[in-house]
Amino acid sequence: MTDSHFSRRALMRYGAYGAGAAALAGTAASWDRLTGADIPGRDDGSLVVATLGPAYGPAAIRTLTEGFKKVHPDIKLRINAVQATDWSDFFAKILTQIAAGTAPDLVYVATEGVQLFAQRLGVALDKWVKRDADELREYFADVHPSLVESMMYEGSLYQLPVEFNAADIYLNSQVLKRAGASFPAADWTRDDFTALLRDMKKSSGSQFTPYFWTNRLWGGVVPWLFANDTNLLSESKAPGGSWLWDSFYPAADRQGRGGGYRWTTPQATHERVEEAYDYLASLIQEDLCTRPEGGNGQNLIGVFSTGRVGVTPAGGFWAGGLNLAGMKDGSFDVQYFPRWRTQRMQFGAAGYALLRTSKLQDEAWEFIKFASRRDTLMRLFETNQTTPARRSMLTADRYREMGPSHWQVFYDTLDKFPDTGPIPAPPQVAEVEQVLLKHTGTALASRRSVAPALRRMQSDLEKAMERDV
Amino acid sequence: MTNTQIPAVRPQQQVAEAAPAPRPSARERGTRLLAALFLAPTIVGIVIFTVVPIVGSIVLSLFHWNVIDSPTFAGAANYREMVNDSTVLVSFRNTLVFMVLAVALQLLVALTLALAVNGRMPVWLRSVFRSAFFFPLILSAASISVVMKYLFNQDFGLVNWLLGLIGIAPVPWLTSENSAMAAVILVYVWQQFGFSFLLFVGGLNNIPKEIHEAASLDGATGLRKHLSVTLPLLSPTLLVASVVGIINALQVFEQPYVLTNGGPGDSTRTVVMVIYETAFEQLRFGEASAVGVLLFVLVMAVTALQFRLSRRFVHYQ
Amino acid sequence: MSQATLTASRARHTLGPWARIAVLAICALLTLGPVIWTVSTSLRTPAESFDLPPKIIPTSPTIESYRGVFDQIDVWLLALNSTLVTALIAVGQMITAGLAGYAFARLEFRFKKPLFGLVLATMMVPLQVTIVPVFLVLKSMGLTDTLLGLIIPAFPTAFGTFLMRQYFLGMPKDLGEAAMLDGCGPWRTFRSVYAPLATPGLAIVGVLAFNYHWNEFFRPLILETSGQNYTLPLGLVSLQGNLGTGSISVVLAGVVLSMIPAVAVFVVGQRPLREGITSAGVNR
Repeated sequence: MTDSHFSRRALMRYGAYGAGAAALAGTAASWDRLTGADIPGRDDGSLVVATLGPAYGPAAIRTLTEGFKKVHPDIKLRINAVQATDWSDFFAKILTQIAAGTAPDLVYVATEGVQLFAQRLGVALDKWVKRDADELREYFADVHPSLVESMMYEGSLYQLPVEFNAADIYLNSQVLKRAGASFPAADWTRDDFTALLRDMKKSSGSQFTPYFWTNRLWGGVVPWLFANDTNLLSESKAPGGSWLWDSFYPAADRQGRGGGYRWTTPQATHERVEEAYDYLASLIQEDLCTRPEGGNGQNLIGVFSTGRVGVTPAGGFWAGGLNLAGMKDGSFDVQYFPRWRTQRMQFGAAGYALLRTSKLQDEAWEFIKFASRRDTLMRLFETNQTTPARRSMLTADRYREMGPSHWQVFYDTLDKFPDTGPIPAPPQVAEVEQVLLKHTGTALASRRSVAPALRRMQSDLEKAMERDV
Repeated sequence: MTNTQIPAVRPQQQVAEAAPAPRPSARERGTRLLAALFLAPTIVGIVIFTVVPIVGSIVLSLFHWNVIDSPTFAGAANYREMVNDSTVLVSFRNTLVFMVLAVALQLLVALTLALAVNGRMPVWLRSVFRSAFFFPLILSAASISVVMKYLFNQDFGLVNWLLGLIGIAPVPWLTSENSAMAAVILVYVWQQFGFSFLLFVGGLNNIPKEIHEAASLDGATGLRKHLSVTLPLLSPTLLVASVVGIINALQVFEQPYVLTNGGPGDSTRTVVMVIYETAFEQLRFGEASAVGVLLFVLVMAVTALQFRLSRRFVHYQ
Repeated sequence: MSQATLTASRARHTLGPWARIAVLAICALLTLGPVIWTVSTSLRTPAESFDLPPKIIPTSPTIESYRGVFDQIDVWLLALNSTLVTALIAVGQMITAGLAGYAFARLEFRFKKPLFGLVLATMMVPLQVTIVPVFLVLKSMGLTDTLLGLIIPAFPTAFGTFLMRQYFLGMPKDLGEAAMLDGCGPWRTFRSVYAPLATPGLAIVGVLAFNYHWNEFFRPLILETSGQNYTLPLGLVSLQGNLGTGSISVVLAGVVLSMIPAVAVFVVGQRPLREGITSAGVNR
């Protein structure tokens, strides 16, 4: 007993010595790891590009770094894949980097943050676009002007869009069949939509909810506001921008274009906004629709692919996502968002924003051009994890194996509906989104709670918009 | 806050004071030097990473600062703004509600289970139970909340399915203002109760058997024995469990951050979430510091109140 | 006292030990249930992951999800970061707490009481309260977005110091006095008499530090902004995918992977961990 006790103590002592020695050796050996000095390109004058981690896996990073090296062997490049659950989380991380004094040169920014970065931190690309106009003609010819316009702020262009996602409606074919319903027509209405949900509900068990959506800026309430011909904040266009439209787009496409969107006066108590919320609340009441969860909709792929949900709004990014979840072509399809007062649809786009603090602005511009090249995007978007901003990349070939069979819907949402626009994202987007999510959650608790929640949303939005960013 | 208020320290404190003061000598100088060397890492660390930041918080709270531009003096503006900001106020209410309910539930579950485990049973079985109740404590609150988010899903989650088996209609756990806080509390308590449980098991072991036997001889049985004998003897442990529980509960972040991100509405937004969002999502460092200072005051007040109450209700052997 | 305690205690005495054990077993099952579900779902295909009732034993277990974790995030790098951070904090705390605890327990010097009060008072200061200025302090030291920035501020440990002080106080005083009579200076007394006896106490400090910092989320969330500097809990978040493209099985597989070291420490270090927690509440 005492012996074993003693030997255990001795063992512990030597263990402690061992641990101490190992810690010292380990610390010494991993000093570069501890200080971050081993991160390639850190503090060595490399061009630093921050991307959204989950969307840019290790393979994508390799594609970008190696591809860029071939074109510009003289520019050292470091891709910093920032892991975040959604765009606002991502922006928070970038802002923290800026606060920490380790700002990147370029940030991958979606519509959610275009104006936030443009207004406070960004550099307009106008002078480079004008300088390299000839080189860029092919790009603009391939990219819908609505996408480009969504990247403008007060007359200047801040990003070249490389991808976008419109909120279209995904339908599970198995659920459609079960309900004996046919695939909806392109001009289906809100009432067709409701009827379909009811048919689906009737033909399915209790572990089934026809419509699933996530409470977020993109693809949540906003598409319904657009369909009902309204918006969360009053929408207008800034003057300017003709320098771009005139040199890159034919007259027909210039019509009504300006210098980017302005989202100003909150109008949450507008009767059409209330109408849209009422409609969603009634769907929830009837058990046709899930109560919206916050966050990123982690449950979504699982429940949709297994037929526990029949219908959900998503963009081209879902073709790849559903495929990963094991859904084959034919087991799902996609249609436009249904018409209500209008069939205006919403999208979000993304590209690289150049930060004011960058000391490598010319090099950064070279990367922006490289990243929007067709061959770069072809390699990057092999798995259909998003919708390419270049129309010529959406081909039958691309969607042959994965589906959906109505893949044309993705780009036609822009081409056939020229008023389709970006989600409202003024420079105060962080507060606006928070307010929207917050009160959407409470508004939909019951039909009676819609009006009071919208009143609170209105007053919070007013406060948020007053704030200087 | 002085050390004498920490009950567990008391006995030793007296021992230390009773030590005779040694004569000044080379040995004494050596001792002082050694003490200085031994304390340096801890004290320097505390000064840099706790004392300076506390002072810094107060100073920062008097400025507007987005970290990018230079700060501007704001006086009490941040505080005025704070008391007019419904989100901040609600977050304080939420945090207090969370603290009271989570700590109460946690102590209750832990005490009940500790008493039950303390009863007669095979030794191996007791250690199985002990390990099981203790297990969630070793998991990461963030990852386990990701798991819980699936389990608490209204339409597809296991929790509602189980409730359905006993005839309870699906609860919109994470998506209704009325139940989201309950879900957050359940997840938190599920993970945390093992801590108080272990404290109670330790406390129960420390109660001399003779006391129980004496009580039994006096005719006290079952519940009465616990209420009149066990609980008073356990009160120092109860105090520590509630002090630690309360300080932890006031800092809650991971569970609401992952489960609900503060929603629906502000119904689960806690003070620490507001600090995080204000500072690192909106770069309003001054406002965030003001909220931090208020939370600090709250923690101090609650702790002080607790020790005051404990003088009346805690019995030392 | 409350209803539940009443019922439990009554059950204990009216239904006998078996009922009590059955209730305990149900509670244990509820406690471990989410963990069992996590493990079993991580072994199922994504399509099966929402099956209700869940198949606890997967009909066709697959490790596909685990492969998915390794495809999507650099698990080895995350694990290396977590290991470095946790191990260095654990060792650092053992050193600082061991030294300071000894000084407070066995050495005489001026300002001992106020200094000990200062150390204890920091237990009452939640880290979250001071995160903004701490961030700025680290920035001025150039330590934001480095692992060192997580490690160094975690070295001083109030609880560890308190615990080690208790530990040294629990050792017989005459050991040190005998050593002094033999002519040992204060350092020798510490080094050859007390320090060797302190290993079990240090083990408690180390295991507690491991448990806390392996799972830590708040500080890394704010301090580490480069993907290369992420720790496991933070990296796991990215498995949830962007805009709902993550697979639940992959997420759960990631959770299971990150649990493994914690479970290993639980198995090996359960006793020190338990003792550490218990000692917080027990008068010795």
